[in-house]
Amino acid sequence: MTETRAKEQIERDAERNRMSIQWTGEQGDFGGEILTVNFGPQHPSTHGVLRLIVDLDGEQIKRVKPVIGYLHTGIEKQMEALRYQQAVVVTDRYDYLSPLANNLAYALAVERLMGVEAPARAQALRVIMCELTRISSHLVWIGTSSLELGAMSMFMYALRERDQILDMNEEISGFRMHTSYIRPGGVMADATPRFWEMLQAFLAIMPSRVDEYEDLLTGNPIWRARTMGIGRLSAEEAIAAGATGPMLRGSGVAWDLRKDRPYSGYEKYDFEVAVEDACDCFARYLVRVKEMRESVKIIQQAMESIPEGPVNVDERKLLPPPREELETSMEAVIHHFKLFTEGYSPPPGDVYVAVESGRGENGCYLVSDGTHKPRRAHFRSASFVNLQAVELMALGGMVADLIAIIGTADTVLGDVDR
Amino acid sequence: MSFRTPKGAVLDQGISAGDEWITVGRERIREVAAALKEQGFQSYVMMTCVDHLAAPVAHAAAERFELVYQLRNLEKHEEVRIRVFVPEADPVAPSLHDLFKPANWDERETWDLFGISFEGHPELTRILMPEDWVGHPLRRDHPVGGEPVDFSDDHERWQTAPRDA
Amino acid sequence: MGVEALLESLGENVLTTTVSRLIGWGRGNSVWPAQFGLACCAIEMMHAAGPTWDIGRFGSEAMRASPRQADLMIVAGRVSQKMAPVLRQIYDQMPEPKWVISMGACASTGGVFNNYAIVQGVDKLVPVDVYVPGCPPRPDDLVNGIMILQEKIKARGIAPRL
Repeated sequence: MTETRAKEQIERDAERNRMSIQWTGEQGDFGGEILTVNFGPQHPSTHGVLRLIVDLDGEQIKRVKPVIGYLHTGIEKQMEALRYQQAVVVTDRYDYLSPLANNLAYALAVERLMGVEAPARAQALRVIMCELTRISSHLVWIGTSSLELGAMSMFMYALRERDQILDMNEEISGFRMHTSYIRPGGVMADATPRFWEMLQAFLAIMPSRVDEYEDLLTGNPIWRARTMGIGRLSAEEAIAAGATGPMLRGSGVAWDLRKDRPYSGYEKYDFEVAVEDACDCFARYLVRVKEMRESVKIIQQAMESIPEGPVNVDERKLLPPPREELETSMEAVIHHFKLFTEGYSPPPGDVYVAVESGRGENGCYLVSDGTHKPRRAHFRSASFVNLQAVELMALGGMVADLIAIIGTADTVLGDVDR
Repeated sequence: MSFRTPKGAVLDQGISAGDEWITVGRERIREVAAALKEQGFQSYVMMTCVDHLAAPVAHAAAERFELVYQLRNLEKHEEVRIRVFVPEADPVAPSLHDLFKPANWDERETWDLFGISFEGHPELTRILMPEDWVGHPLRRDHPVGGEPVDFSDDHERWQTAPRDA
Repeated sequence: MGVEALLESLGENVLTTTVSRLIGWGRGNSVWPAQFGLACCAIEMMHAAGPTWDIGRFGSEAMRASPRQADLMIVAGRVSQKMAPVLRQIYDQMPEPKWVISMGACASTGGVFNNYAIVQGVDKLVPVDVYVPGCPPRPDDLVNGIMILQEKIKARGIAPRL
């Protein structure tokens, strides 16, 4: 595209932004005019407030332009105004379908800056909660994607299991969704005996439930017709587009941060990376279903091998001392005072930590200038990058395929807009 | 460092919290990025900007704005961070959108939130804020905004700006 | 609006009071929400429509995508500056009688995000009938909010909104 054509396109887009549907006057290949249609931002199938400006030639898509920013929350600016301990609460809320993965990325970044490592029991609890979050995120994905493609009962089945996972979240932290359970230094609190019972019961039934989902969808001719061959993204295109997570693994690239750059003790667990070669929506569906099964295996192993011990690192510059010590130790009082009035100050430096969330690579880039508030906290969001691949996948397809493609990208707009 | 860079391009280098980084001048960032891409750093992880306005004197940065790029080598499992310092008086940097596709939206976001323009970018418009928004919100002299909290003695806590800005 | 104009012309008497209560009962028990899930609260709203809490029992089975076929707008999530005119437009597209539930802390007051990007409370844009606090509110809380709204609707009957 030359400079002037690009400028014209920008002006036309600015004009189109104000219209919801418009004939463009350009001739299409099927004898009619090209039509610009606006999808969203309020739309049942866009997984949040995503707006797509689509140029259609008949039913065929000529151009897809995503317009984002409808959920921009100023989270990165908010983090700069909060102390490090307070900022954990805000990190839950950008990728709101995997809040614990966001917590983990931030907690690992702060721990790397401070030069501490969470104890082994905390790491195992982190793994368990993150894998539960991954399952719950994939359940929402499978429920809503099926709902959009017409398999409405799947939505109810998925939410049935997800309610069990949220009940476990509530048991361990008191919150269903935004738990802020994983914090710099460890986790919020140890698991209760009732949590282990609930977890046992959940792990016992989950594999059969995933079999149920596969019974409903994998062999279903309508599901296969609507997802096989749709949304092709080859391995080179996926890497060039920066895609991560099931978008990348559904195109045959076996890159999973849990295996290739392990964190929080993942190297101890034996699990397979879900990879499929077909590069279409159906392949990504199979990847996510397999990930649910592998997550169950990881949680089982973590639960069986979890060591006894503290759930928080014993570092007085990071976490407050136990209350009993305040009666006897002056140093403990000083630490307590400093932590609760000013907060801790990591040494100056920057760090980038990435975890594998349900969507892909969820990273936290944290810059500390030696004060008690971050200088900059940037979140590398998987959905922001994966959304750019939607255009590639949708070109030349039909409108109904666009719904399947947005579903397969599994974007969360809170993650995209932050 | 297991990669090679063009002669004289690297101004500084180091390791921060376990991450390797190099500093490159903005006139040579495209050259360095292309060289790294050829050596296997094909995966673009992220790009962002840091505003060092009113940083504590002991840790002052070379210029006000620092662009940070993170590239990854999928085969060798290595990552490198590239820093480019951009002065406040002339907030312009070359665009990398043709080398790395995801840089397109990241550069739009940096323009939107920090006000740094990228030469050669095909469509440098606002991406997160409304089109008619005035100002660049993530600059340190842009207030956090919102509603003032009555009777709070640390209302100024809600500003990240220097007091006399 | 035809039945209300006719009944207004008959004046306040036993017949219109009973009809008013009947219509209020009908409207209250068949509130159709418009899908306006913005952020995290939308997920809890989905759970409220799911198998465990099931607002279909309360008449809200049909969550309409088009605002022109809905009478309740549940603002579930944070409203950003860019989304504010869209929200107002959707509200204007809904036909009378219409109600708004502000679900969650962000919709009610701006929540955790007291900053440039978030409208500090959706009541700056649309009139709100019920506020449901929480971050996010449990689906039980949302169901409670809908039940309170139902009481409000039944009490109003066919009286015009002032």
